[in-house]
Amino acid sequence: MMDESNPYLPYIVNIEDAWYETPVGDRAVKTFKVNFQDEKVWDTWSHKPGNCAMVGRLGIGESMFCISSSPTEEGYLRFSIMQAGKVTSALHDLEAGDTMTVRGPLGNSFPMEEWEGKNIVSIGGGIGQAPLRPVINYVRANKDKYGTLSVLYGARTSDLHCFKSEFQEYQEEGTECHLAIDIEEEGWKNFVGFVPDLLLDVAPSAENTIAVTCGPPILIKFVTQGLEKLGFTADQIYTTLEERMKCGIGKCGRCNVGSLYVCKDGPVFSYATLKEIPEAFA
Amino acid sequence: MVDEKKLREKAKEVLAREDVRRLIGWKRGTYGYESAPAVLKDASEADELIFDPTCVQNPASFITLEEKLPVPRGQDPDTRKVAVLVKGCDSRAVVQQLVEKAYDRDSVIVLGVPCTGVVDRRKAAKMFGDTSEPVLIKEEGDKFVFTIDGETREGSKAELLADKCVRCRFPNPLIYDELVADEVAVWGADEFADVDEFAKMSPPEKWKFWEEQFSKCIRCYSCRNVCPMCYCLECVVTKQKPQWTRRSTDVSENTAYHIQRAWHLSGRCIECGECERVCPVDIPITTLNRKMTRDVKEMFSYEPGVDVEAEPLLSCYNPQDPEEYIM
Amino acid sequence: MGDFKFAKDKLAEVVGALKDYEVFAPAAVGDVLRFKEVEDASSVSFDFKNTNVPPKELMFPETETLFKFRVGQTDIEPAVPDESKKRLVFGIRPCDAMAYTIVEKLYSWDYPDPYFEKRRESSVLFGLACSEPVPNCFCTSLGGGPGSEQGLDALMFDLGETVYVKTITDAGDAVAKAMGLEAAADAEKKAAAAQEKEALAKIKRTIDTTGIPEKLPSLYDHPFWEQFSDRCLSCGICTFLCPTCHCFDIQDEVEAFNGRRARMWDTCMFPEYTLHTSGHNPRPTRKERTRNRISHKYSYFPEKFDVIACVGCGRCINYCPVNIDILDILEKSKQAEAKEAKTA
Repeated sequence: MMDESNPYLPYIVNIEDAWYETPVGDRAVKTFKVNFQDEKVWDTWSHKPGNCAMVGRLGIGESMFCISSSPTEEGYLRFSIMQAGKVTSALHDLEAGDTMTVRGPLGNSFPMEEWEGKNIVSIGGGIGQAPLRPVINYVRANKDKYGTLSVLYGARTSDLHCFKSEFQEYQEEGTECHLAIDIEEEGWKNFVGFVPDLLLDVAPSAENTIAVTCGPPILIKFVTQGLEKLGFTADQIYTTLEERMKCGIGKCGRCNVGSLYVCKDGPVFSYATLKEIPEAFA
Repeated sequence: MVDEKKLREKAKEVLAREDVRRLIGWKRGTYGYESAPAVLKDASEADELIFDPTCVQNPASFITLEEKLPVPRGQDPDTRKVAVLVKGCDSRAVVQQLVEKAYDRDSVIVLGVPCTGVVDRRKAAKMFGDTSEPVLIKEEGDKFVFTIDGETREGSKAELLADKCVRCRFPNPLIYDELVADEVAVWGADEFADVDEFAKMSPPEKWKFWEEQFSKCIRCYSCRNVCPMCYCLECVVTKQKPQWTRRSTDVSENTAYHIQRAWHLSGRCIECGECERVCPVDIPITTLNRKMTRDVKEMFSYEPGVDVEAEPLLSCYNPQDPEEYIM
Repeated sequence: MGDFKFAKDKLAEVVGALKDYEVFAPAAVGDVLRFKEVEDASSVSFDFKNTNVPPKELMFPETETLFKFRVGQTDIEPAVPDESKKRLVFGIRPCDAMAYTIVEKLYSWDYPDPYFEKRRESSVLFGLACSEPVPNCFCTSLGGGPGSEQGLDALMFDLGETVYVKTITDAGDAVAKAMGLEAAADAEKKAAAAQEKEALAKIKRTIDTTGIPEKLPSLYDHPFWEQFSDRCLSCGICTFLCPTCHCFDIQDEVEAFNGRRARMWDTCMFPEYTLHTSGHNPRPTRKERTRNRISHKYSYFPEKFDVIACVGCGRCINYCPVNIDILDILEKSKQAEAKEAKTA
């Protein structure tokens, strides 16, 4: 935090670069590559894949976003933000050279150490790929610590795929990549169908594997069911949830799912944990 | 006098109908001088219903409070009716809701309950103290007889009736499918004496009065939520995109909220008084609304909630309307 | 600690003796009581049951500034309360003081909340033991009582002509001495004990909370919640007047070139509380919200912090306009047969 004694105060960050991942318009996704205005923040900053931050603009407000860059990507943070409401629309107005506020790192993280030695399967849909990207990049940067890496990703249309250029990089390295779109498109040679169907088509082995998934609630629900069909146990399945958030530090009360605060006990949860909470899949 | 047994039988009959989803009335509260609203789903619950001077709440508020969630694909919407027991003042809410087409006439069954007045719990508590036991109240002539913690106490109706009841001109429901008791004689008249009294204050005095009142407001929105006429799916006051009224509770924003609401109710407030009853910090909300009601009556000869064939005042345009500027 | 006393007719002098403290005591606007800063010491009175709005607003105000900024600039000016200002909360009831000990657990959970903490740390609490419980008070069922000392620096007993003051902490002791209170004798201590005993006997409503925190999650899909949620108005009365409710909203406000980020009380009873920008609402109806509120207080909070987030002050019962009675809900939850909760 900006001030150890006051977790409500944000850092000011400069936007080094900003670009649209998807066509401009309602629900467009824009990525921001940012750096702290005060370089000294890097001395005390450390984050892990899965951590989030409250990103915003003074005078408008903040919203919680996953830090979409791995700690192995040094010297900057990335956020990929979908335009939807007041704060995100105000953020989309910003370009390189502008400032925004960042308050973090918040929340828990994916247990990357626990997963060492295992195969990792990432299953994302739409903007849900944003929190999975740091996991993927972390594994890629620590190849010798993990087994195989496979990336499954789908969006409604090929236009709406985020991080398009990066998938090419993954494939060139030898990471298994499976892309999908919901409906037929001219020129699309890959899978056509929803992500849960892509999952069953690819049918990754559950042997010594961790599956990480993120996307709209309905995707998480069906992907989880699919993974169980493929033999994954509840503690092999991880996801990251979202709720409306304001404080990000477990005090304002609103983001609870049962007794867990998504901003603090989460947003990363294993399916084994979520299974026990009736409210988890509301 | 309402025969509770008859009321329950009628309610049972209605609830047993296949085309009725729920029935809203009153049941014994868990303590004190007020009943609890009863939202019943099964005929077997009808024996819980009561009707006596504790029945202060307006069941018509609950018609519009019920959420209508999107119907899942493959399922049919539940088109069964809602039955509602209403006193005279409550029935004005149903009339006005129908005037505004909040719902169709045939989606509700209105059981009219002629009423001779309810007790104001604040007045009763001042006279007899508070209690954690439910209080029984019976009307006997010009008195109310209370059974409080096993003891019998008495008080005059004049001192214990809710203010709205003292001046009530509509003790008999103005709309109903059936009456559950005989109509009663009208006893009240309303010359807006309270509005005139308040108007005697000078503008600085009035400002000071309202500043003090609105600085108490905690923005619980209980006044808005209980109001049978406040049923907008998105209220302008809680709108965020854009935000018209801030959430911070300073006297300026609180005043803006109350004035907005009073304006939005002009020509629509049916004077059930629930807003003032529910306020946890005793803001005299009806004072504001009554001023609007009186002005609407004088300027447009209009009274809401009385004629189901009438048109909503501020949604309709009459060339005779007293506004020189726009013409 | 210490035993002190003062003559009740010297109340104004006693309060007035503290020159370097901001003193807060219940003050009336009409019939409505709230804790306000005392301007005229002679207005302080012990003649009240309890305030409408709990003294939580002294530690956690209805609205407070988190920080200020200027439009177009990036400097942030924190508005953390000045802890050097000493405050005395005079006449707080034991239930409301106990509420602070509960809310503190959340406000200090991993991240500090300097706004709450500075106010709390700079406040000395002089409680007023209850001789007459508020109707619907059930503090004894939650580990409190008319003479409970939890969270207090000192506890006063109004014995009629005399007020017995028992100091509990060093801070309480220091204030008692600064007030110039004389030492109390056995007679006062005995009278206070007798008053407490009498007050305990007057508490009519109780609930055995054993098993409730464990049982509530299993009642997630049970229809009994609808008995209560069907008449809920979704207003904020129960939450805003609850001394242990602590949820808030954060909003940025801008006027011309001056801006602030403020936080203000929020309530889980409003549908907007959990409304996602996408339009999805995980708690779209009153059933989900009522179930969540009760479960949070009586199950989720104790799961995390080992204490039920309720002190039995009775305000939610007394002020709910539709008679949703938490004791009624809890009793019904005990009777309801747990069905297997639906999990994904």
